[in-house]
Amino acid sequence: MANRPTLLNSCASAATAAEARYRIDAAPQTARATRVVALDAGAAEIVRPLPEQPWLGAHFLRYQGDPGDGDLADVMLTTPDGQRVLLSGELADADFVMMIATTGDGAAAAAAIGNACTLRGIMTAGVILGSDDAVGDAVTALRPHARVLLVSKDQRDVSGVLTALGA
Amino acid sequence: MLKQEINELLTRTGPGTPMGDLFRQYWLPALLAEELPEPGSPPVRVKLLSERMIAFRDSDGRYGLIDEFCAHRGVSLWFGNNEIGGLRCAYHGWKYDVTGQCVEVPSEPENSNFCSKVKLTSYPLVKIGDILWTYMGDPATQPPLPEYEFVHVPPEQTYTSKRWQECNWLQALEGGIDSSHVSWLHSAGLRNDPLFKGSKGNEYNMNDMKPFFEVVDSDGGLYVGVRRNAEEGHYYWRITPWVMPAFTMVPPRADHPVHGHFWIPIDDENCWVFTFDYQPVRALTEAELAAMKAGHGVHNEYVPGTYRPLQNKDNDYLMDREAQQRGDTFSGIKGIAMQDASLQESMGPIVDRSKERLVSADSGIIKARRKLVQAALDLREKGVTPPGVDPAHHRVRSAAIVLPKDQSFLDVASDALTARPGVRQATV
Repeated sequence: MANRPTLLNSCASAATAAEARYRIDAAPQTARATRVVALDAGAAEIVRPLPEQPWLGAHFLRYQGDPGDGDLADVMLTTPDGQRVLLSGELADADFVMMIATTGDGAAAAAAIGNACTLRGIMTAGVILGSDDAVGDAVTALRPHARVLLVSKDQRDVSGVLTALGA
Repeated sequence: MLKQEINELLTRTGPGTPMGDLFRQYWLPALLAEELPEPGSPPVRVKLLSERMIAFRDSDGRYGLIDEFCAHRGVSLWFGNNEIGGLRCAYHGWKYDVTGQCVEVPSEPENSNFCSKVKLTSYPLVKIGDILWTYMGDPATQPPLPEYEFVHVPPEQTYTSKRWQECNWLQALEGGIDSSHVSWLHSAGLRNDPLFKGSKGNEYNMNDMKPFFEVVDSDGGLYVGVRRNAEEGHYYWRITPWVMPAFTMVPPRADHPVHGHFWIPIDDENCWVFTFDYQPVRALTEAELAAMKAGHGVHNEYVPGTYRPLQNKDNDYLMDREAQQRGDTFSGIKGIAMQDASLQESMGPIVDRSKERLVSADSGIIKARRKLVQAALDLREKGVTPPGVDPAHHRVRSAAIVLPKDQSFLDVASDALTARPGVRQATV
């Protein structure tokens, strides 16, 4: 059967503002399970007020260190209300992890989280906040482990990017 | 996803809108110089930022950009006669100079000074390189002239075209910031376009389809760095600068000319795409120029006598499904420029960004939108001059480089990202 458009100029009619009214209005089903992890004390301060905002299921966490049970592949995190949770549990149904850093202190955490995400096929990103001359170590620490890095002086970028991503 | 009110703010550029006010802080490309080639050339209709104007070049060679319509009865001055000293309305003979000042009202007595009290809105129009630039803002805050490298190299080193794109400017700009589509939509162009093929960088591009991204603030906007695996221990970086509000450059390939774009609103549902190619240190070859004029690279073919692309939505962009099946093109559309334009126009005149689902690879687009919104609000609420107005912000370059894995493109490539007269582009 010939592969023909309905009209010779179907793009012309399809691309009008009038036709835009007939686009299916229901939101596509693309729920995202986001985990936001503050890697250092500065990052934790920036992330601290975010859970108060409305989110589409995002979890906000702070890196605490290794779990102390000898499992070097896992990481201990804390939730906003102080509960201790394991990274492996948080990643069980996650598809996106955003790491927040202000210094290079979180290098070990970034490596652990990045490796865990790579093993599970979870997308990673990093937001590094601070002035140009202060964030070099953080960039070096996160670069191998975050598929996307945003380096910014604007702390509001964390919530802005998360909102844009539907977190 | 974007709230509808933010989408409105970003996409509306008419007079009095926040984004319109922002655009009116900058010198903007208005026409190609070839549109007014000599003194007394026929006048040209121009619409920018939802304002209709007439551009003309008077008998002394001076450029003018004035309100399109005669103050008398609202007739379009496009029908006017470009005479010695001004443009005369075809209806009753009122005559205007390049500043919009009326210099003659034939129906008035010989010694009447009535015409001195009639003046049309006008904007400066200045030739720099192959482009006529205008500034549509408050004369009191008119910035210094633009210093983009492609308009300041010798004429034999640069070529600019323009095309009409039938969608909102932001859809077009976002294509210029979004590096991740290149390996898909333009994959065939990397193999066979005369202004793209033969680069080692193309191999890196096609061998690593899951690149990493780094988005970093610059003084004038952003750098969007994309890295792919290169030889052992090295990354191949492609770095795209965005200078606010509407200038982007494509990272170079081999010794091909460096190209980029200005994405300029005509109105809220149309934009001009000014497309340039230049060589920082050598003349363009005849073969390169011929390829550009034939619509290769980031240029396009035209409906004869117009700046409308030959491939347009009225002919389904000359879709070729067989070429798509063969892999000659990824989308069935010929040419890199029209591959972008066809998809961006398919989104509709102004895409509803409240329904989009961005991914983290879109971080450059997300950050660019945030910077535009912030700059528009800072201008409106605090009178802050936005990034990209200072000519120092214009002196940027794109770059393509291979670096050891432990080196940051920002630390190592700052020279490569700066326009330096007489220095070749950084390319792979």
